[in-house]
Amino acid sequence: MSPPPLRGLVLAATVALPLAGCAKKAPDPIEQIVVRKPGDPPVVVPLASTDPVAAGKRAFAASCSACHAASADAAKGVGPALYGVIGRKAASVPGFAYSAAMKGSGLTWSGPEIEALIANPQGIVPGTSMNAGAVSDANARHAIVQYLKTLGPKG
Amino acid sequence: MNKWTRRGFIGAGVLTGGALVVGVAVRPGNPVDKLRGDVASGPGEELVNAWVKIDHDNTVTAIVPHCEMGQGAHTALAQMLADELDADWAKVAVMQAPANGFYVVPDTAREFVAKWSVDAPNWIEPTYNGLFTQVARLADVMITGGSSSVRTTGQHTMRMAGAAARHMLVAAAARKWGVPEGEVVAENSLLSHKASGKSATYGEFAEAASHEHMPQTPPLKDVSQFKLMGKGLKRLDIPAKVDGSAKFGLDAAVPGEALRYAAVKAAPVPGAKVEAINAEAARTMPGVLQILNMGDFVAVVADGYWQAQQALNTIEASYSKTDGDLLDSAMLRARFAKALDAAGDAGGKSLARRGDAVGALKGAAKKVTAEYQVPFVAHAAMEPMNCTARVAGGKCEVWTSTQVPLMARSAIAKALGIGAEDVTVNQLYLGGAFGRRLESDYPVQAARIAKATGYPVKMIWSREEDTRQDFYRPADTSRFSAGLDAGGKVLGWNNVFTQLNDPPGSWDVAHYDIPAVSIRRAEADMHLRFGSLRSVDHSQQGFFIESFVDELAHAAGQDPFEFRRSLLAKSPRHKAVLEKVARMAGWGSPLPKGTARGIAIVKSFGTIVAEVAQVSMQDGRPSVDKVWCCADAGYVMNPDGFAAQMEGGIIYGLTTALYSGITLKNGAVEQANFDTYPMVRMDEAPDIEVAFINADTRELGGAGEPGLPPIAPAVCNAIFAATGLRIRELPVMSHFA
Amino acid sequence: MIQTTVNGQPRQLDVDPATPILWVVRETLGMTGTKFGCGIAQCGACTVHLDGQPVRSCSTPVSEADGKAITTIEGLAGGDGKLHPLQQAWIDAQVPQCGYCQSGQLMSAAALLRDTPRPSDDQIDAAMAGNICRCGTYGRIRKAIKAAAGIEPATTGAEG
Repeated sequence: MSPPPLRGLVLAATVALPLAGCAKKAPDPIEQIVVRKPGDPPVVVPLASTDPVAAGKRAFAASCSACHAASADAAKGVGPALYGVIGRKAASVPGFAYSAAMKGSGLTWSGPEIEALIANPQGIVPGTSMNAGAVSDANARHAIVQYLKTLGPKG
Repeated sequence: MNKWTRRGFIGAGVLTGGALVVGVAVRPGNPVDKLRGDVASGPGEELVNAWVKIDHDNTVTAIVPHCEMGQGAHTALAQMLADELDADWAKVAVMQAPANGFYVVPDTAREFVAKWSVDAPNWIEPTYNGLFTQVARLADVMITGGSSSVRTTGQHTMRMAGAAARHMLVAAAARKWGVPEGEVVAENSLLSHKASGKSATYGEFAEAASHEHMPQTPPLKDVSQFKLMGKGLKRLDIPAKVDGSAKFGLDAAVPGEALRYAAVKAAPVPGAKVEAINAEAARTMPGVLQILNMGDFVAVVADGYWQAQQALNTIEASYSKTDGDLLDSAMLRARFAKALDAAGDAGGKSLARRGDAVGALKGAAKKVTAEYQVPFVAHAAMEPMNCTARVAGGKCEVWTSTQVPLMARSAIAKALGIGAEDVTVNQLYLGGAFGRRLESDYPVQAARIAKATGYPVKMIWSREEDTRQDFYRPADTSRFSAGLDAGGKVLGWNNVFTQLNDPPGSWDVAHYDIPAVSIRRAEADMHLRFGSLRSVDHSQQGFFIESFVDELAHAAGQDPFEFRRSLLAKSPRHKAVLEKVARMAGWGSPLPKGTARGIAIVKSFGTIVAEVAQVSMQDGRPSVDKVWCCADAGYVMNPDGFAAQMEGGIIYGLTTALYSGITLKNGAVEQANFDTYPMVRMDEAPDIEVAFINADTRELGGAGEPGLPPIAPAVCNAIFAATGLRIRELPVMSHFA
Repeated sequence: MIQTTVNGQPRQLDVDPATPILWVVRETLGMTGTKFGCGIAQCGACTVHLDGQPVRSCSTPVSEADGKAITTIEGLAGGDGKLHPLQQAWIDAQVPQCGYCQSGQLMSAAALLRDTPRPSDDQIDAAMAGNICRCGTYGRIRKAIKAAAGIEPATTGAEG
């Protein structure tokens, strides 16, 4: 635990000056994975060529997880937890403060409905508080839905 | 002539092109030439190691060793220097001093290390001054904190430099014109001699002035002579902050080189190590260049920051086990209670003891006891921690926003195993700091990443990382017992609490007339990193003490303002501030049902601040509708800037009081972003009215922090008055879910 | 390829269309006035205008800007370099402290005044509640908006 700076100052000025030279050098990286050098062309990995659930999990982590949890017991987030979302009525997670727009949407979350929503949240549910999280890549949207299908009691 | 003369520790030089420089002479005989290589910049500006520079075009540049993080120090210090110099404010510029050992802040060191030396006799001054400059340099004291810039560097360094330069300009003009010095008038950056009709700009005499004798103890102005000091001059940094051109740490560029970007995630439990990572997904993601397990954190370097953060989000890591793994907030609270139980009525480390408090309570007609608690608090500056670094050829250069550039330099040097002279720290504007940027963890991280990559990297923390890897205001529990006589007079005060950081004395109640006082600390361990958060220990002690005093007032059946007023009988400056804020707020006048006022008064960082909060209950929740604030900081150098700091301290303290609570689960911080760690926003921000009293022009108080401590108790005292509910645990809103 | 207009200049952007506008503006275009604060549209520091509407650029993919006009703080002043009335009001009222959130505050306020030239206190609260300021400049922001709207004169300062 570091001493607070002002007290650190007092210590440094009165007793601890000789310690200044004793601090350890930080360790070098334990693991260093060099994917490519700056300026080299990107490594192309076609999304569709991999397992769609794994690709979806990756895309979910990148695009959705900042606001949505994937587990049932998750703490409250910016968005509702998405465990068991497939087949669920919109605005039906107990205790989550949905927008009026989402409550009144009348949607039930099928795969295609979710793909449409995350392509353009405000277009599908105008007034939703989902300001973030649009996914522009159709393959990624499809993969996310394949991953969401694995979440839930039956998954 | 007076106290200021002790700061006779300046030197003068001349720039190429003939500009006058008055600044720090490191020691007699140390040539300013020695610094030139360190700080060479543009044409005609090759030597900037000084507090003031006067160019041929008559521009006066104040070179300020403190950072600008919104507190207005750059402008206030320039204002103080320019006033002593009788400079034309329209031609004054300000410049951030470079981070090298010549710009340490000895007066800050003195304020905190050895306040007793400040009133030393003049003859010993050169010794002290040299000593403290050396101490400051060894301890890397180029620090902005403790609400200290104006009252230390401003009062004792910037004013001296301005006055010395003015004297030299007058002497040069008198010599050239062949007239007595006493007949030369220096005003508005112009020199003139009435009888001969001669006049010239400061710039024209800059070179000649540099050959004049430099007074070691130039007389400083009396308050009655102030022209700029005491005026609400507009801040010099604001125009660049309304058009997007101000450069913050986040905006750093590395001259001539392209930047790559790093996102980082440290082990969530402090002290844990990253044992292994699964980066299979991350290595295939767009833009990714490198994935690093640094042992204590994971980093992804990519072409863009967003790409780096997206890839980092997919990495799974395993961490080493630590003693903190199972700790949660309830266990910590129990640990605090155990320590306090063990201390009892008289145990623990004694901090203040006047009379026999335990005995006084025994004989009291009425005894009042209470336990107060506050949680951990994160700083949440708007600009997340970030640093740009380049490591090449055994040297490191960083660009960042920090309150401690020299400490950052030393920390980087140690981490990389190179000398401090091989590290350059470039200082940019700080997007808020509040004490968080007194720590150098993030510059060290960036330097380590840049060393591993070999190319320049801008490391940016996510908001989640910023919340979870803070140096927190500690959680704290404080227990009080006090005894009153039949007339409501306080006979004894017994207090014990768990956490102690800074500044000394934040726990004291010496301003209140209480005959028997015992204040103790019962230490309890924790694994989180602690730091200084705006007003430091005063942020919790203000809440504890002023809430409990309110409880005593009610127990005595007295009005909380009148009760404090009688307790302050022997503290006239406190009393005057309290009375003024009560008048401003119309204390005692009727209010609608469900609306009430609360009052509190705290002295911190040399400034006495009293606040009244007016709170109404709306839909069962408290709404803070209006705050009145009165402060006595001795003398206010820039009233508008001072008011802004009071407003800022109140809003920051209001967020802390109403909402801020960092909790632990399995050893890790649970809160992550502004959804789970909410802030007061525009729709909850009260109107704030600020006034001040100038009671002592010699010894000044600070501005940045003192506005904060009274707001939490003022609000909680108002809630009690409105509802009968006594809030003894923060945050307030946890009681109104 | 994204076709957009940034502060009046047509731009063709060869970037991942999923990249938030914030990072395209800052890193690809080198305009750093727009700030990163939270990444999830909670703080407003990244506010820009998209076809005149305020959006949180940290959470709006640049694909959304295809065929539209982006305005950032650097484009708020007129082409003649004359400050926007809000920028002048911000200086007059000495609003900024650290200044980091102020680009976003100004962009939110500019959108408010364009649609609601004389906003009520409630309208100001509603339009500005998405923008966090940790320095506590809310009171001055409110005054500056009213001054720019011609509702109240700009005043600053404390009584002595």
